[in-house]
Amino acid sequence: MANLPAAVVGHLQALALAGRAIAWLRIDDTLALAEAGGDLEAYGLGAVQPGTAVSEQAPFLEGLLPLVETPWEMPSVEVGRGRVADLHFWTGDGGPSDGDTWVLLLEVTPERNAAQRMQQKAYDMTLAQEREAVLNRRLEEANAALQAAQAELERWNRTLEERVATQLEEIGRISRLKRFLAPSLAELIVSSGDESILQSHRRDIAALFCDLRGFTAFSETAEPEEVLELLHNYHATLVPLIQSFEGTLDRFAGDGLMVFFNDPLPCPNPAERAVRLAVGMREAMARLFDDWQRRGHAIGFGVGIAQGFATLGQIGFENRFDYSAIGTVVNTAARLSDIAADGEILVTSRVAGAVSAFTELVDMGLLTIKGLSRPIAVSSVAGLTKVHPVHAALGR
Amino acid sequence: MLGGFSVGKTSLVKRYVESVFSETYLTTVGVKIDKKTVALGDRPVSLILWDLAGEDDLASLRLSYLRGAAGYVLVADGTRPATLEIALSIRKRVEVDYGALPFAMLINKYDLQDQWAISEEKLEELRRDGWWVRPSSARTGEGVEDAFTDLAQRVTR
Repeated sequence: MANLPAAVVGHLQALALAGRAIAWLRIDDTLALAEAGGDLEAYGLGAVQPGTAVSEQAPFLEGLLPLVETPWEMPSVEVGRGRVADLHFWTGDGGPSDGDTWVLLLEVTPERNAAQRMQQKAYDMTLAQEREAVLNRRLEEANAALQAAQAELERWNRTLEERVATQLEEIGRISRLKRFLAPSLAELIVSSGDESILQSHRRDIAALFCDLRGFTAFSETAEPEEVLELLHNYHATLVPLIQSFEGTLDRFAGDGLMVFFNDPLPCPNPAERAVRLAVGMREAMARLFDDWQRRGHAIGFGVGIAQGFATLGQIGFENRFDYSAIGTVVNTAARLSDIAADGEILVTSRVAGAVSAFTELVDMGLLTIKGLSRPIAVSSVAGLTKVHPVHAALGR
Repeated sequence: MLGGFSVGKTSLVKRYVESVFSETYLTTVGVKIDKKTVALGDRPVSLILWDLAGEDDLASLRLSYLRGAAGYVLVADGTRPATLEIALSIRKRVEVDYGALPFAMLINKYDLQDQWAISEEKLEELRRDGWWVRPSSARTGEGVEDAFTDLAQRVTR
């Protein structure tokens, strides 16, 4: 400064201080205001009174005095009325005010505002980046959750497809088995998962054959529609009855039906079931044929029942499997059915022995049966002496 | 008032001193000084509130502003977990320079529940260390009066 002319120094001061509010305070060693000057009004200090505690009049000085170090500066302080000042503190150095504290308020509002604008932009940008990061993180989390849900859905779909395939296969197996088994037995076998009982084997069975008397003559004289109607009614009546007795339906050709018991699922009384089924069939057919006979058609119904060992198992290939029984017992039952008159149920002596306790039998003597080398004892079932629970339930 | 930038220090002071809230965010540069006289029991007490510029990576806190402070309020933004770490860091530095001054900690912006990102467990952890920690909202005023009153009682004890 010493090298600068006073005019230059004065001009510099004028430049530096132009438009700035400048105020000053002098505080004595009792922290009372000694004097004040400058643009006090600009900082809301217009009413300060010398001789009173300075912190009461200038709250921003609370706690700052006495000074710990001198000189000391506190920059950019907004003290009131929107004015921002750098606060400069120092203590007097000799002279009448030695030991007093001076406070200079040098306005920096424009600088503070400029810094605030820059700072604001930087913070706004930082906050925007933070928000973007949070949104990205949420998006990634949502995406991950979506992918997980999709994977889970695919897994469920696969499971569902597998289940559907399994169930379709099961339904296919059940429908195949239902062709010759009662539906409940078919489902039982499939649900057990063990179809080995359908493999070829030998077992003691009761075989029942039945067919219509006079069917050939009827089909020659009746219209094909009438023949189909008769067969439909015939099958619709007998098949549910067979299923109710849990019989295995073997053959189903035209008017002939073959049913056997004790296979593929064992039952404790195959001959009894066969005879009770035959009696039920006879009663049902009598009601069915009543109408046809009134129309002049001589339709009748005969049954043959035999018991003995047969070879049983699936016969056929790929999707054309049938479950069937082969053996003398089957032939015998078929032959007895052939020779039975309308309404007659012919049974072998073994069957007769098994059901005699609850059946009224008529001894038919020894009959020569085609395919058998010796005559066999045959009985005719006249009726039941005790009602079977299934009959009772069916109202027969 | 100490804490990271944009945590709501100025809004908390405005809510406490003027009972108003502005949605407009205006960053503080330097320090803004306010005064509020409260009654603690039958005794009036003047609180001189120094609202300091928030700290971030570029502008670190001028600890000299704390000269003469009787206590302080630490503020974090409940929707920005990083601001809690900044507040914890500030407290450590204050303690080194000025010793164990009384302080209250506010986790602000409690009204933004759908964006809240600081767990209650974390706050419990701080309370177990003896801290006075509360959620607050300058927008609704929740927790604001309590924090200043409690701190005033402790600094004048």
